Amino acid sequence: MEFDIVGKSTPLLDGLEKVTGRARYVTDIRMEGMLHGKILRSPHPHARIVKIDTSKAEKVSGVRGIITGFNVPQHKFGTMLQDWVILPNDKVRFVGDEVAAVAATSEAAALEALELIEVEYEVLPAVFDQEEAMSPDAPLLYEDKDDNIATTFQVERGDVDGAFAESDIIFEDDYETSQVYQAHLEPMAAVVAPADYDRLTLWLSTQVPSMSRLRYAEALGVCAEDLRIIKPHVGGGFGAKFEYKSHILAAVLARRTGLPVRMVNTRDEDFIAGNPRVPMKIRVKLGLKKDGAILAKDVRIIAGNGARTVYGPAITSTACYRIDSLYKVRNVRSVGYTVYTNMIPTSCFRGFGNAQMHFAMEQALDAICHENGLDPVEVRRINGVYPGYVSIHGWEIKSCALQECVDQAVEASGWYEKKKTLDKSGAKKRGIGMALCNHVSGNRPFYRPFDGSSALVRLTPEGKAIVFTGEADLGQGLNTAFAIIAAEAVGLPVKDVRTAAVDTDISPFGLGSFATRATTIGGRAVYEAAVNLKEQLVSHIAKVYDEKPENIKVRKGEVALEGKGETLPIFDVMQKVSFSLGGASLVGQGSYVPDTVLPDENKYGNVSPAYPFACHIAEVEVDTETGSVNIINYWAAHDVGRVLNQQALEGQVEGGVIMGAGWALMEEMIVKEGHLVNPKLHDYWLPTSMDTPIGKIHSIFLESVDPNGPFGAKGIGEPSLNPVAAAIANAIFDATGARIKKLPISPDKIVGALVNKKL
Amino acid sequence: MCTQNEIMFTAEAKESITFTLNNKEYTVPVVPGERLLDMLRNRLGLSGPKEGCGAGECGACTVIFNGINLNSCLIPAERADGAVITTIEGLSEGIEGDLDPVQQSFLDHGAVQCGYCTPGMVLSAKVFLDHNKSTPVTRPMIKEALSGNLCRCTGYQKIVDAVYACAPVKGDPEEEGEV
Repeated sequence: MEFDIVGKSTPLLDGLEKVTGRARYVTDIRMEGMLHGKILRSPHPHARIVKIDTSKAEKVSGVRGIITGFNVPQHKFGTMLQDWVILPNDKVRFVGDEVAAVAATSEAAALEALELIEVEYEVLPAVFDQEEAMSPDAPLLYEDKDDNIATTFQVERGDVDGAFAESDIIFEDDYETSQVYQAHLEPMAAVVAPADYDRLTLWLSTQVPSMSRLRYAEALGVCAEDLRIIKPHVGGGFGAKFEYKSHILAAVLARRTGLPVRMVNTRDEDFIAGNPRVPMKIRVKLGLKKDGAILAKDVRIIAGNGARTVYGPAITSTACYRIDSLYKVRNVRSVGYTVYTNMIPTSCFRGFGNAQMHFAMEQALDAICHENGLDPVEVRRINGVYPGYVSIHGWEIKSCALQECVDQAVEASGWYEKKKTLDKSGAKKRGIGMALCNHVSGNRPFYRPFDGSSALVRLTPEGKAIVFTGEADLGQGLNTAFAIIAAEAVGLPVKDVRTAAVDTDISPFGLGSFATRATTIGGRAVYEAAVNLKEQLVSHIAKVYDEKPENIKVRKGEVALEGKGETLPIFDVMQKVSFSLGGASLVGQGSYVPDTVLPDENKYGNVSPAYPFACHIAEVEVDTETGSVNIINYWAAHDVGRVLNQQALEGQVEGGVIMGAGWALMEEMIVKEGHLVNPKLHDYWLPTSMDTPIGKIHSIFLESVDPNGPFGAKGIGEPSLNPVAAAIANAIFDATGARIKKLPISPDKIVGALVNKKL
Repeated sequence: MCTQNEIMFTAEAKESITFTLNNKEYTVPVVPGERLLDMLRNRLGLSGPKEGCGAGECGACTVIFNGINLNSCLIPAERADGAVITTIEGLSEGIEGDLDPVQQSFLDHGAVQCGYCTPGMVLSAKVFLDHNKSTPVTRPMIKEALSGNLCRCTGYQKIVDAVYACAPVKGDPEEEGEV
């Protein structure tokens, strides 16, 4: 199939306003009379609120509103569990927990008022480690519960014990993944203003405009229709920007004061009260035949939910069983506990639990191969899934180029040669490591009523198209991907198509950007809308020009009337068509509801319309004296279904690999007694340009052409990160013999391991 | 040329300050304690300099201040007196102006994703290129020049490529040494 736009490199269509600084983010919004909101946060990890006195704070000049748990309703709401209140009047449960919020005419006045709010606390014993929090004598976070276990996920299929009994190789080990911070450059932000008809308009930096609207309506006790959410440019999300408490506090203050309220996190607040990655302790037990075929898998996960539930339980269940669609294992048992602690609430971060499990599983396979003299490439080949495979949980793999990803990564990296020849003689040792990856493109259980998307594509009287979608571009290039899909399907130049900012008064409902779903599911809806538009266009042209529909071809913004032997610019044609309709635009509408299954109580059913796959290979150099690790080369072979935008796809892979390398080697939220020691970008080591092997991240794309994705495309956001930490860990092991099973793989751990092993 | 520290700590009290911003002269009253970033954003209506951390750690608020790239969140506004300042808005004039070659190169190379770091990143690149008009430029040099500007989206590869493409004299890639 020949494409005009799909598969080429299309620079981001909203790149111009970004390179000129004209792009407006929520943090750039200013309004007449706008108040500045600030949040008083708990200094204690666990304490009873005895009394809050705001009388001095109210006297500060410029203060317009103060809310506490004693003057807001106390109904419970939440994302997965009903454990949120607007502000608490009983207890604080983590350092950073919201205690009060102030709106004032200046930031300085708001900050002064915060200082003057007097809160009397009765400090309570606290628990920080998720495993300790499970113990019967641990302090209880929620007194109406019997223990701190928020949720337990369990699944068992096949004959697990029988399969272990039949296994030639039995392997068991423990892995631990860290709580890390998404570090989007734009902090969490909201501006909320009262609007006509007693409504509120919320400008949010969010991945989930439509879902936030539903949740905030519940929180505020209003109809969703009473809230209009607008999502302008977003400065990165990576999973952090879901439903968020400060948006709700800004809305309450806007309603109380009748004025616009701006609520933007400082970087410190973003660190201590954002929603970082769910930390997990993972025990993996695998049973294999002599040749490396996996017979049985038994997993136990203890995950830290933090002090209230965001999406922790869904992330734990994902870690428990999503990887069972990467390898053909038929006997599995998983139990995953998501446990309350007096720590920051944790949530989504690129990879959604699957990344955590990849760190464990892909290292376990590597260790098994090493201990049993097996070839890690071959073991992955014989276990890897294939097109048409249905997992033990009923997940249906349609397109799948996993084997090809392995082939290409192995060949491009010179794997077998490097395995033999990499220099391990000196203090600086080189090694090479591999990890495979699977993911979803949409996750049916995430929002129980449905998964799917709908879109509108409007063709104006000038022949330009505007895509309306509820799916959220966070900077990854989604708006450009949608424009590419619509332009290709209608037959327009991509420069004549733009995607409108999400505005819930205008845009169709869209679940949002998560689960690597937006390009696949949202993009398919855009495709359907564009096809619908094209049908209308052709039928109108047929009428206006008296031409047979089959003789009308629209391509690159030109309309060929083949019966008449004429070619006209779309501008001229649309002028005529539109005028014949009283000046109307043509509006194509399209929906895509994947043929997926909401997993039943046994967690059985196909959750996603498409599954992306990848094989990553890392080549590292480890300085055995200092423990520092340099990435020398990195190959990332991805089954993306179809390349929509080559350049943007490479950008996703390069960004995902470096983010994964940061998680693997550098990043750590250091917490002492519930207090984050390093809530600064300076002390939290984020990869800089100096940590990046420029020119050494090699993207390889395989096109398996998925039957459900738009033009066959599957998602890329999360797969680009999932296997990175394991690939690097395996390369470090290959280089040095040090097997680091707890993130981050910091220099002290490497040196410590080498000293202990006397390697 | 002076350092960020000299600019931060050698203030003297004045009622108003005069400076050149994006080729235009401004005189504005001093607001005690105000940061240059806040003056640019709140009083002069610019949106290009972004606040990412308020502590000089991310580079999103970078401006060109007397020829060097500095974090405007660390500079007291009154230190702008007599200074020549360029923000991203000064690289191309409004909607009608042509893009600076660095801006164009960022676009062409896919060096822009969410865009929040982009204004600062482009300005740091601009200063680096201005200081290396006749020096053979290598990618390791660019990495170092951009090390104060954080980007969480791109993994830096395409940013470095975009800047390298703008270098008038390019160093031998073979001699670039370790990555």
